[in-house]
Amino acid sequence: MAKVLELPKLSPTMEEGQISAWHKKEGDAIDIDDLLAEVETDKATMEYKSFDRGTLLKILVPAGSVVQLGQPVAIIGAPGEDVSALAGGSGGAAAAKPSAAEAQPKGERAAPPAGGDAPVTSPPPAARGEAVSPPTQPAAPQPSSNGRVKASPYVRKLGRERGLDLSSVAGSGPRGRIVARDLEGLKPAPAAAAAKATAPGELAAPEVRPLSMMRKAIARRLTESKQTVPHFYLSIDVDADPLNALREQINADLAATAAEGEKPAKVSFNDLLVKACAIALVRVPECNAQFTPDAILVHQRVDISVAVAVPEGLVTPVVRDVDRKQVLDIAAEVRELAGRAKAKKLRPEEMANGTFSISNLGMYGIDNFGAVINPPEGAILAVGQVRQEPVVRGEQIVPGRRLSMTLSCDHRVVDGAVGATFLKVLRQLLEHPTQILLG
Amino acid sequence: MTVLRFREAVRAAMVEEMERDERVYLVGEEVGHYQGAYKVTEGMLDKFGSRRVIDAPITESGFTGISIGAAMVGLRPIVEYMTWNFSAVAFDQILNNAAKLRQMSGGQLSIPLVLRAPNGSAKQVGSQHSHAMEHFYAHVPGLKVLAPAMPADAKGLLKSAIRDDNPVLFMESETLYGVKGEVPDDPDFIVPLGVASIVREGTDVSIIAWSRMVHVAIEAAAELEKEGISAEIVDLRSLRPLDEETIVKSVTKTHRAVVAHEGWPYGGVGAEIADRIQRLAFDELDAPVLRATTLDVPMPYNARLEQYVIPQASRIIENVHRVLYKS
Repeated sequence: MAKVLELPKLSPTMEEGQISAWHKKEGDAIDIDDLLAEVETDKATMEYKSFDRGTLLKILVPAGSVVQLGQPVAIIGAPGEDVSALAGGSGGAAAAKPSAAEAQPKGERAAPPAGGDAPVTSPPPAARGEAVSPPTQPAAPQPSSNGRVKASPYVRKLGRERGLDLSSVAGSGPRGRIVARDLEGLKPAPAAAAAKATAPGELAAPEVRPLSMMRKAIARRLTESKQTVPHFYLSIDVDADPLNALREQINADLAATAAEGEKPAKVSFNDLLVKACAIALVRVPECNAQFTPDAILVHQRVDISVAVAVPEGLVTPVVRDVDRKQVLDIAAEVRELAGRAKAKKLRPEEMANGTFSISNLGMYGIDNFGAVINPPEGAILAVGQVRQEPVVRGEQIVPGRRLSMTLSCDHRVVDGAVGATFLKVLRQLLEHPTQILLG
Repeated sequence: MTVLRFREAVRAAMVEEMERDERVYLVGEEVGHYQGAYKVTEGMLDKFGSRRVIDAPITESGFTGISIGAAMVGLRPIVEYMTWNFSAVAFDQILNNAAKLRQMSGGQLSIPLVLRAPNGSAKQVGSQHSHAMEHFYAHVPGLKVLAPAMPADAKGLLKSAIRDDNPVLFMESETLYGVKGEVPDDPDFIVPLGVASIVREGTDVSIIAWSRMVHVAIEAAAELEKEGISAEIVDLRSLRPLDEETIVKSVTKTHRAVVAHEGWPYGGVGAEIADRIQRLAFDELDAPVLRATTLDVPMPYNARLEQYVIPQASRIIENVHRVLYKS
């Protein structure tokens, strides 16, 4: 008995996914846990593994299609089984909407008929003044199973010229082919085209970059955050000399004691800061909390989201139970998570359910800034660079190091005094950094 | 500039060249006393006399062969067939003698010969009179093949053809003889062989056509414009030599191409053009090159079936929709 496979929920926040590549082709034997396809969700590229055993009889949506949760994507069953009834009734490819076409007005175009490259050799029915029965659809050609991006030569050229990542573009052409309009959005309407003569001062044609799933997720979540969460900001300057001295000593000792032929581990300011935040959150649990309409949820675990910039935007892998981990383990974990984040290989659960966030732009030379809260968390700490400047010690002005940080708080959860208390504790820890190692 | 019909432009080219060069003469069925089967040669017998405007019996192979011989020894004949379809009778002479003798003689012989006739579909003249023969001849190295769409080009190209020292086949279209256009009066006006013209500028798709299909393409482009699609039309004018530079330049601008021609699709000139585009402008293509052609059947006599088989504007439009992924 053939079975229609529907797009499963591969991440907690996922509502739709883009099939970036099929790893099986029609006719392939499938076993349980075989990799069927890669699906790009709002945060990551997920592996879609089979829950069933059988033969992949039909692929209903080509690679590149954006598919809603629960929408049929393939049919699995016994070899040679007739699936025309299932395939016909399931909506299949016709229901998969190319993401670039989302902006298109209704009726702009339907998906091209299968065999979309055959030239037209008959006049339209209208010209013949007679009704015609709809053409029978030949079997859709199989998408390549090697994950190759299908794009027109011109699109590939544009991709090379503009450094585009075509794997994140949904193709609207036959069999999911990416065509020029998928990069450029819609052609101007006839009226607009007529008015296209460039008047002086008119906006020159911009380079149009299609929204990736990640870009859409960033836009949606942060707009929601900034519009619905009442932010306020608390900033402090920390004397970073002790922290700097400690970090230098830690790294010197790590180098001196590294095993023969092994690359010595390293600890960054950020690793120490993540640990310091965890200790401070244990001591001021009101900052490790989230607002719900019925109650404040004070989290009993300290799971810190660390913002990582990736080519397409940013992701927030979560380091779990930071309060119970050693600085060196935290350092290794953050490095490993950041590496996989850049390779788009994080699993959604690794990016979900943090209780507090840290965003550090120090490596970009930023002194201080205010970050947008990562919902549903209650606060986020924005950290700048350790900078050298004249500081007052006693009655002397001497060279010193300073570190600025700004806590953005959700005022529904964290009041000013609470946020200030958290920062006070954090400052003490950072200015007496051996406590971070003992925490 | 004078407004001339296509047939008058063809006649003007022959008259001017016959006045310019004593060696040029005209031979064919009904070119003299009857004033031309399509009145192209009207008045020429009176003007030049029966020594230079020669009525031939129905012997295409014979008068083509004699003309090739005359060209070999220094005359410059213009041969008119009643239709290019009938040139099939002379195919051996054209293919094996006219096209090859220069090469086979190591360059000692040249064949300054022009063959001209109406070509392609008309209205209900039956399958044996409705072929687009340019595809048969454009295949042959040693022949030059011209197929203009506009009266001025007809005049300028035919003059170039008559002055050319090699066999040139000049394809007219029965349906275009009445088409009017501005034609330069200057006897020195010529259109060089192998140069296409852009008859309509556009940005979204290149429609590549020649002869009658240029006019069908213009009709299609007007319809497409109403949908907001801007079609560029390349009138090849000359099929061999082929102006691939203009084709590539246009496709580089529009990224899509539809070739529109009369004649069957299989192995037609459109296939050659599609090949050149994919070879020379591969990185510019956003869609496969498609062809709007006569259907792959002998031309039906029945009027409605005939209209169904001949490529109409609707077939060009549908193919344009395809390359724009709008169908």
